[in-house]
Amino acid sequence: MPDIYTPDLMEVVNVRKQTPDVKSVRIQFQNKARASQFDFRVGQFGIFSAFGSGESTFNICSSSNWKDSLEFCFRKVGRVTEALWRVEEGDTIGFRGPYGNGYPVEKWEGKNLIFLGGGIAMPPIRCAVWYALENREKYGDITIVYGARTVADLVYVDELAEWAKRDRVRVIQCVDPGGQTPDWKGEVGFVPTVFERSKVAAENSVALVIGPPIMIKNTLPVLEKLGMGPDSIYTSLENRMKCGVGKCGRCNAGPVYVCKEGPVFTMEQLQMLPQDY
Amino acid sequence: MSEIISKAGLRELAKEWIAQGKAVAGPVQTKPGLVMYAKLASADEIVWKGFVRPANSVKEFVFPRHELLCTYKMEGNRVELANDEAEIPAQILLAVRPCDAAAFPILDHVFNWDCRDELYNRRRGATTVIALACESHDESCFCTSVGLSPQAERGSDVMLFDLGEEYEVRCLTDKGRALFAGKTQPSERTAPTCMGPDPRFNPEQVKQFVDGQFTSPYWQEATLACLGCGACAYNCPTCHCFDIVDEGNSQHGERVRNWDSCQFAQFTLHASGHNPRPDQGSRQRQRVLHKFSIYPEKFGEILCTGCGNCTRNCPEGQGMLTLLTGIEHA
Repeated sequence: MPDIYTPDLMEVVNVRKQTPDVKSVRIQFQNKARASQFDFRVGQFGIFSAFGSGESTFNICSSSNWKDSLEFCFRKVGRVTEALWRVEEGDTIGFRGPYGNGYPVEKWEGKNLIFLGGGIAMPPIRCAVWYALENREKYGDITIVYGARTVADLVYVDELAEWAKRDRVRVIQCVDPGGQTPDWKGEVGFVPTVFERSKVAAENSVALVIGPPIMIKNTLPVLEKLGMGPDSIYTSLENRMKCGVGKCGRCNAGPVYVCKEGPVFTMEQLQMLPQDY
Repeated sequence: MSEIISKAGLRELAKEWIAQGKAVAGPVQTKPGLVMYAKLASADEIVWKGFVRPANSVKEFVFPRHELLCTYKMEGNRVELANDEAEIPAQILLAVRPCDAAAFPILDHVFNWDCRDELYNRRRGATTVIALACESHDESCFCTSVGLSPQAERGSDVMLFDLGEEYEVRCLTDKGRALFAGKTQPSERTAPTCMGPDPRFNPEQVKQFVDGQFTSPYWQEATLACLGCGACAYNCPTCHCFDIVDEGNSQHGERVRNWDSCQFAQFTLHASGHNPRPDQGSRQRQRVLHKFSIYPEKFGEILCTGCGNCTRNCPEGQGMLTLLTGIEHA
């Protein structure tokens, strides 16, 4: 009897080292029938496992238009990610999902998109950027402000460069003061300040802000100053999860199961929740 | 009119069930002074009287503290997964306290909303619950504060009432009737109503307080003694939080789920080091919030049956009751 906790077996088809401690991994369903049924929304997450070490929760950072494989990206910080760090092409890992609500990409149609990300928050923004670029006529201007501690900590830098070449896309990269190299051409400063001095027009826009709590906290006043209301600012919560299906009791933030009603919330929704995330 | 069975008759019946291969569990004295729900090797092991309630809860018979999800076997870069296909034998939970039985329909919600947890359902489906109405209570009991009583029928297939030499038998479901069909005699005797503990708090007020006073210093002050051991959650009939871990090596092993508790520091710890609930105050507040606000909003009932096991098992003598009765003065 396969149960809701038994993962699908996935073959690793590509591994890329993004930074000294971040890798992205592309995987395919070994069961081809399952692969053809599988569908997801950008912004949803999966539970990925290295057998013998356990499961961990990551955003599915590939676009939902890419049917042949899924991608996830992680920083090596613990037992499971240490094990996932060691996987190579051809290896088998586990996947459960997709879980959660995803981004309301239909609601975003006709709007300018502002993406603000810090550190390892690029992957959950990346899937939305690709989705918007693949449905280019449905979305307005795209602005991406992405910062990391140092130049070496920026992930998906090749894709950032590619996006910057696209029509009506502005990419602003920054590193924390002290994190720059002599040949760094991007900005130096924290995401909220760099965003503020970049003078991004915020009319008819939605913003997706993902990053460490301190970055989100300091970015919100800047967005408010630009006239953006809390109903047009989105984020994705990172509460710890185990089951992904609203049973294990771990990801509650007040009355919501982040794994079911989230992880994507507007700031307006978050203001209604107790500070439990 | 009522149906009764003699105490000797019930013991014989339990022997019959065991002989038929059914797993029968009930209160057993596991060491001097300690009564716990446990599987019976013989019907004579069961302890019927002389204690308020077992120190553990019966949830472990439908939601074991350690349960196999799947096994994995690795060969080269291939992995084989297998699920546990073993049949779950019919099991009878005998002389269960009403505050334990009432937890089953509460747990049913969480394991069946949205997607169904068949690991839970197959054990639940194989289980018949025979409750024994309480005749005594202690200072930790508070069933009457959460809408239950010493004779509450919720979650039971059969209710037994002690009449001295016999038990009055009230079959409440077909499952229960199937076990007792032809085994009882009609009688004129019925059990007197037993008064439970006086209500100690109003759950509506608890909800208002925990919803409105999320940042109140009360949570910190009232829980300073909490050691974060999780005994309250492990012995609670309704606490159901779990962890999923791999136990094995890189060749073969098991993926299992183990009980977990919101009282543990690692429960909500992010990989980044950020912890939304960094202290026992916020963890105890979560336990109250889940039981008296989150769960009632989602499923329409309180995630607490007033059994008092949290207080009885707490090394600091705290528990839901101490925390909730203190709200009045907060």
